[in-house]
Amino acid sequence: MLFFEDVQKFVLSDINIHVPQGISLGLIGPSGSGKTTFLKLACGLLKPTTGSIHIMGRIPVKKRRELGSMMGAFFADLPFFQEADTVEGNFRDRKCIYRMEDAVFEKEYAELSERLDFRSFEKEQVKQLSLGQRRRAELGALFLTKPKLLLLDEPYEGLDQIGKDSLRELLVQRQAEGLTFVISSHNMEEISALCDRIALLDQGSLRYYGDRELLLKHFAPNEVMEISFSGNLPDLEDLPLKRYTLQQNKLTLTYNANYVTSAELLAHILEQTTVTAVTTRKSGLADAVTGLAAGMGKTTGKEEGE
Amino acid sequence: MKNDTIHLAGVYTRTVMRSWFQYSVDAILRSLAVFIREAVGIVVIYFSMLKFESLNGWNIHELMFLFSLLFLTYGILILFFTGMRDFWKTVRDGSFDRFILRPRGLLFQLIFSNADWFAAIGHGGLGIVLFLISAGKAGIVWNAGTVIYYILAVIGGVLIQGAMFVFVAALNIYLLQTDSLVTLFYWDMRKFAGYPISIFHRAIQFCMIYVVPFAFVNYFPSQYLLRKEDMAGYPAVYLYLTPVVGVCMYLAAYGFWRYSLRFYKSSGN
Repeated sequence: MLFFEDVQKFVLSDINIHVPQGISLGLIGPSGSGKTTFLKLACGLLKPTTGSIHIMGRIPVKKRRELGSMMGAFFADLPFFQEADTVEGNFRDRKCIYRMEDAVFEKEYAELSERLDFRSFEKEQVKQLSLGQRRRAELGALFLTKPKLLLLDEPYEGLDQIGKDSLRELLVQRQAEGLTFVISSHNMEEISALCDRIALLDQGSLRYYGDRELLLKHFAPNEVMEISFSGNLPDLEDLPLKRYTLQQNKLTLTYNANYVTSAELLAHILEQTTVTAVTTRKSGLADAVTGLAAGMGKTTGKEEGE
Repeated sequence: MKNDTIHLAGVYTRTVMRSWFQYSVDAILRSLAVFIREAVGIVVIYFSMLKFESLNGWNIHELMFLFSLLFLTYGILILFFTGMRDFWKTVRDGSFDRFILRPRGLLFQLIFSNADWFAAIGHGGLGIVLFLISAGKAGIVWNAGTVIYYILAVIGGVLIQGAMFVFVAALNIYLLQTDSLVTLFYWDMRKFAGYPISIFHRAIQFCMIYVVPFAFVNYFPSQYLLRKEDMAGYPAVYLYLTPVVGVCMYLAAYGFWRYSLRFYKSSGN
């Protein structure tokens, strides 16, 4: 679906990535790491200095119109609508531009305006809308044409909570119907809930590309368990813990889930004392990225531990 | 496919007109402002000319006819080429990137997604007024032949100037800031074009014929209809070349535009 081979452009260098159809890819990295450049290359707004890019088997800068009818792209910093026209007017323009059947358009429009909640201001000019309203309508327009591939650059920026929820639902639903999408965001929690794969860009190089679960397991294997107990303080000497803290009768354990499971820990503790409450928490994607940013040092540290 | 394109052009045009004429009083006043701004220049020339018998053999009505072609062609031209005239703005605010992402021709989108209707009404209206004042009195014989010639000359004149706009828009891809270039090559040269070019220095004449060929927009077509003596200084075939020059220039500009697009870089980053 999306294929980058040895791509070089601006800050980006040696990007090799292949995203199969039906996969959702989350693009993360600090600002200036090349996320927007990556997406602009994918939709043909930029031409790679070296290397090659194929989208659905076509070169984006050469097959602009053909690809344009099959994919949608959203960039937070590019204008999307005709400002002086109404929301509905913009949708009708889009219907013509993308050669949609009347019936299909009416059905899609009714559904999207309901789900993204822009029916109430469809007769207003785009320039009079608030940012949140505008974003909802823009995203609706993106889904209208039923693209096979969606490229979203910071779509959450300026989007209100209803919009975020609707966007997530729509993406999940359309993905089940075969949509492939790439989404870049600072908001890692949103991405981690949504994407099958993660690509982590740092200063223009691809630091990680692969399964979201694998990233979490590899770079943030830590879990935290909180145990409230009554009775004796259990002996923790033999357990492979990273650290533990004790506050009155509440014990907080941090451990590497690759070495010991929560069940094993709990079994060990239950032998020695009476447990009244237990909670466990996995580290999030943010922790994983921090782990990755710490870089090679952490990896070698782990090897020493083994 | 063809019908579909015409349909889309219609949809675009409706949208453009809705936005330009949303406030009708504002639209009337601004069109009038353009009309008056341009007309003042003509009025000054008109009263100056009352003091002179003629300008190199051209009387006041003939001169007004010369002007009318300039304004009329601009009035038509700007309905189609506003997007090229303002191309640098379109690039700067990112709208051009939006066009690139859509499955439609870029020139088509630029042409139909905007039209400066106030300029069209102001310039076009002045052109029509000047035509009505002068066409009868300038001594033109109107018959089927001259009417057809006139229509072809207007189309040619629109294409010549349209080609200039397309050319400058293409240059914009390399230079990013071309509005001063437009002022110099279009607007400043156009000031000469209101007069019979025979009154100017050779170098200016050369420019007006071969570099920025405004002479084919109004001077040579007017000569065909008026047959003034100063035409003797130019090859007679120039009387018939306006549509040819228009089509050739437009095709050349279009080729240059297509070629230049390869070098387009998205803004930002």
